[in-house]
Amino acid sequence: MSSSSQPPDQPGAGPRLDIGEIEEAEQALTQELRTTEAALGGQKSQKSGRGIATALLAAPGTAWMLFYLVAPVTFIVLVSFWTQSTSGFEEKWTLDNYERLFSDGTYWRTLRQSIFNSLIVVGATFVMGLPIAYFLAMKVKNLRNQIALFIVALAPFWTSALIRVVAWRDPLMGRSGAVNEILLKIGIINEPLDILSFSNFSVVLAMIQLYVLFMITPLFFMLAQVDRSSLEAARDLGANWFKSFREVVIPQIMPGVVIGSIFIFVLSMGEFATVRVVGGNTVASVGTIIRLQNDFVQFPTAAASAVVLVVVMMVGVVGMLRFANLREDL
Amino acid sequence: MSQGAEGTEQSMSGNGAGTESTPSKSGLELRNLTKIFSGGVIAVEDVNLTVEHGEYLVLLGPSGCGKTTTLRMIGGHEMPTSGEVILDGESLLGLTPDKRPTTTVFQHFALFPHKSVLENVEFGLKMHGVSKEERRTQATETLEMVGLRELADRKPSALSGGQQQRVALARVLVTKPKALLLDEPLGDLDRLLQLRMRVELRNLQRQLGLMFIHVTHNQEESLSMADTIVVMNDAKIQQIGDPLTLATKPANELVATFMGDNNVFRGTIESREGDRIVVDDGHVKASCVVQDDDRATGDAASLSVRAASVILLDEGADAGGDVNSAQCEIVFVEYLGDLIKLHLSAGGERMVAKVPGDNYARLRGQEGNQVRITWKEEDVQLLAAS
Repeated sequence: MSSSSQPPDQPGAGPRLDIGEIEEAEQALTQELRTTEAALGGQKSQKSGRGIATALLAAPGTAWMLFYLVAPVTFIVLVSFWTQSTSGFEEKWTLDNYERLFSDGTYWRTLRQSIFNSLIVVGATFVMGLPIAYFLAMKVKNLRNQIALFIVALAPFWTSALIRVVAWRDPLMGRSGAVNEILLKIGIINEPLDILSFSNFSVVLAMIQLYVLFMITPLFFMLAQVDRSSLEAARDLGANWFKSFREVVIPQIMPGVVIGSIFIFVLSMGEFATVRVVGGNTVASVGTIIRLQNDFVQFPTAAASAVVLVVVMMVGVVGMLRFANLREDL
Repeated sequence: MSQGAEGTEQSMSGNGAGTESTPSKSGLELRNLTKIFSGGVIAVEDVNLTVEHGEYLVLLGPSGCGKTTTLRMIGGHEMPTSGEVILDGESLLGLTPDKRPTTTVFQHFALFPHKSVLENVEFGLKMHGVSKEERRTQATETLEMVGLRELADRKPSALSGGQQQRVALARVLVTKPKALLLDEPLGDLDRLLQLRMRVELRNLQRQLGLMFIHVTHNQEESLSMADTIVVMNDAKIQQIGDPLTLATKPANELVATFMGDNNVFRGTIESREGDRIVVDDGHVKASCVVQDDDRATGDAASLSVRAASVILLDEGADAGGDVNSAQCEIVFVEYLGDLIKLHLSAGGERMVAKVPGDNYARLRGQEGNQVRITWKEEDVQLLAAS
């Protein structure tokens, strides 16, 4: 092997690592490996027998999706273009439903409010969920404790969602509910707060509590996979706790943030049960509007409202997906 | 000045610096450094050490000996239970890693997966508030130094192991630390690259004149790279010395066994004449001239002889007695190209001899045959009690 270190007094040489020919050999090996792998991959797809087997295996799942997802959605889209009649709808194509919708100020106001609420819930669950997920993933020492505490955090989910929602209304937030009683006793307020129940505020609060676990879970899993030594390296190189969190942890957990956000955004946008129970008749959401229209047998209008809702949801989801490359990073 | 073992000979860093018998203000000093983890595990016990600027120090020892914990305490990733870490006269205790003038090269490189190579290297400068253009210039220069300039925009996952290691090096060097800490830096590399990197890394260190503290369990690596080797075992320092001393004069049984290629005789003193003792371990007898030792006949003693000092006698040659010689059966002839390790059994006791590789012709296939070995008394080393 020829010696290739430079004489120290050559001008402009300076300290350096002379690793030239070893490097080339390494690269040649890696290249060979990659081409071999690619060749093997190409060979696999040429076997036609495997294609049929794959199709058969995928058939049940595809049929399920077609029946329970694709068919109903297609039907709803169709109905949204059909005409309203006294007993439901007639199969006559029309754009009336959408015209009516686009000129209905209430609908747009409610849609805006729903979007606003959903984004607040996403933000709030992130702010609350992150410290909990961080504590679980980074500060709890052994795996068994981690899982135990995680299950404890899940405890509210062991009860019916409806019970939890109802609990929010009177027992907790009502005029004579727990929160008001405590605040009155301490002396912070003199009169019970009305805003705590049957208001948009209470609806958002209830949704945060309902959905926070959908944020904690993906965050917890991503945080648990963060490379600890890269965190140490960041500290080592001069980053304080906050900067190392921002530069090293956040980029690595983005897929979890995006997943949690998508879950919660979609769920909140479609909300109607919580809104009705906690908000009473004073708060509306797109979900409740659709519900109402259904009750009044205005199927085409309801269908049009639903289609618009889904389109808005998809726009939101696509927007969120831009923040992480889920296919690669997950 | 540094100690922590019942060593025999010691020598300080090979930098040509003058003698130092007074505590110097410059350099790194570890004083009575101890780390006990919760649960009572003693990871590091009473470590005392000084390291000069420009010195290449290797912490050597088996897994779990405390070398990595010691390194982490210097870097601030672990807080000592008691003791002091002093750099250039100032205590580092209580300083978090980001505030210490040391940086660490981690075992598996710990590169930031979402940043490009250039962004990785710029990171330290960014944290210290250096402007964008200045960062770019310095980072590019450092990448040039490790030969990775063309890969500046790649992500770490697209790099080979050797390339990742060089990025990790560039990343720490660009911040111009006072001391570089390396935790098994060559462990993840292929053997050929490992061997080459030993030379290049040491060269780089010399050119930079920087203090390097390198942790490894590979004794060959330590001999090849270090100015000073600190052998650790069981949370304590066993011996400190330069490579020659550690290779030829191990202080105790632990060091002798760990450095490898030493024949250790643990036995009792059969006889003593003045300063010359003869030790019998049940299979072999060896003699040694000792200093400052008042053990007598019947006391336990351990001696060692390097495998390279063992001489094979020709057939029928006279060994001149049964001390410092043995009749052995050849167990295995291990051919290593330039040399041969002859694994022998002296009546059940395992011994090793090293002979030049051109003996292979006559030694090949000799397993099972007998051979007589001998060695000189001056090559016998007295080992301190471990």
